[in-house]
Amino acid sequence: MTTTALPNPSASGAGRPPLPVKMVIAGGFGVGKTTTVASISEIDPLTTEASITEVAAGVDDLTHTPHKTTTTVAMDFGVITLDPTLKLYLFGTPGQDRFGFMWDDLVAGALGGLVIVDTRRLDDCFAAVDYFENKGLPFAVGINVFDGNLDHDLDEVRWALDIPDSVPLVLFDARERGSVRDALLVVLELALQRAEEE
Amino acid sequence: MSGSDDASGRRGKAVVRALRPYVDPPEEDTPAPGPSSRSASASGPAPGPAGEPVRRSLSVRPFLVTAGRVTDADRLPLETQVITTTAGLNALPALTFEQHDIVAACREPLSLAELAARLHLHLNVVRVLAGDLRSAGHLTVHAPQADAAHDLSVLRRVIDGLRAVPDSRGLTRDNNRPA
Ligand SMILES: Nc1nc2c(ncn2[C@@H]2O[C@H](COP(=O)(O)OP(=O)(O)O)[C@@H](O)[C@H]2O)c(=O)[nH]1
Ligand SMILES: [Mg+2]
Repeated sequence: MTTTALPNPSASGAGRPPLPVKMVIAGGFGVGKTTTVASISEIDPLTTEASITEVAAGVDDLTHTPHKTTTTVAMDFGVITLDPTLKLYLFGTPGQDRFGFMWDDLVAGALGGLVIVDTRRLDDCFAAVDYFENKGLPFAVGINVFDGNLDHDLDEVRWALDIPDSVPLVLFDARERGSVRDALLVVLELALQRAEEE
Repeated sequence: MSGSDDASGRRGKAVVRALRPYVDPPEEDTPAPGPSSRSASASGPAPGPAGEPVRRSLSVRPFLVTAGRVTDADRLPLETQVITTTAGLNALPALTFEQHDIVAACREPLSLAELAARLHLHLNVVRVLAGDLRSAGHLTVHAPQADAAHDLSVLRRVIDGLRAVPDSRGLTRDNNRPA
């Protein structure tokens, strides 16, 4: 774990802070979100608590509106100081399949997303894939190769996930910083390409 | 799971109710048999789906610390940078615990998310308190550039910066590639 000296800490606070940008790391429980953030963050991943809105499947009989509740979830994040004026934040968000989590708060303004998949439990990632697709957020699907080799070929996985060719599918190792970096770069290249087309 | 559904459902409602006083006015105050059991079964194993930890210990603190208020600050993005002002530093001795800790921590720019994690406070508490401290002139709060995700120069800077991050063997992305 490297630490980077903070740029010109200013006692007066008068200087401009670095520009913060963020990316979202999503996926089911145990797929390697925290590991991914830890591999590349310059701080030990921190956990904070965020409120998310849950939309329960049923409809409230009294109001005829979807029943919404607010739940507190642990969300971990890390940071990479790319240069003294630019900080990249990574937010690892819990994503489960049984609820329509509203991550709007987390993804607003994000540069892109990485959905992590464990091929042994593919369906855990559908909520995140659907969500990013609906939001129009540039994202890639990263297959975390837990034991260094993959039982399926990539085309099979793509078919099973039912993602279009426009969504990059990458193999990566959540424990290896260079591998995480490269997976994030795939997302960013896609974001750049999209922005250039706008 | 079936045997504990009822209990965890009720605990789930308790957490929601504890949070609601500041998030949202409570809609139902007592666990009446009808609606409560219906929503408990509708939300199933909430609030800890599939084992992602849901912390209960802090669930009442937001209400206590912020006295039930919600400000515009509750919409500030997680990566919003917060910096202490000279006035904030001078006011440190007079500030109460959470406010003191926030002002002390932000001598260097910190994001709201980092602040929440370092001080073990709920994100929304930090948002509200940072909003108050800003109003008092103790902090400056810098929301991120709203269109950063569509700004070509920002995207290119992030890509260049990330390419230069070495892997565990010290190789940058560009070293790694065949020449
Ligand atoms: N062998 C191996 N274990 C991993 C890998 N990625 C994550 N793990 C382990 O899998 C477990 C779950 O990972 P974690 O990052 O906590 O998942 P999260 O729930 O998505 O945050 C942890 O015990 C990790 O150490 C990997 O690439 N290889
Ligand atoms: Mg985790």
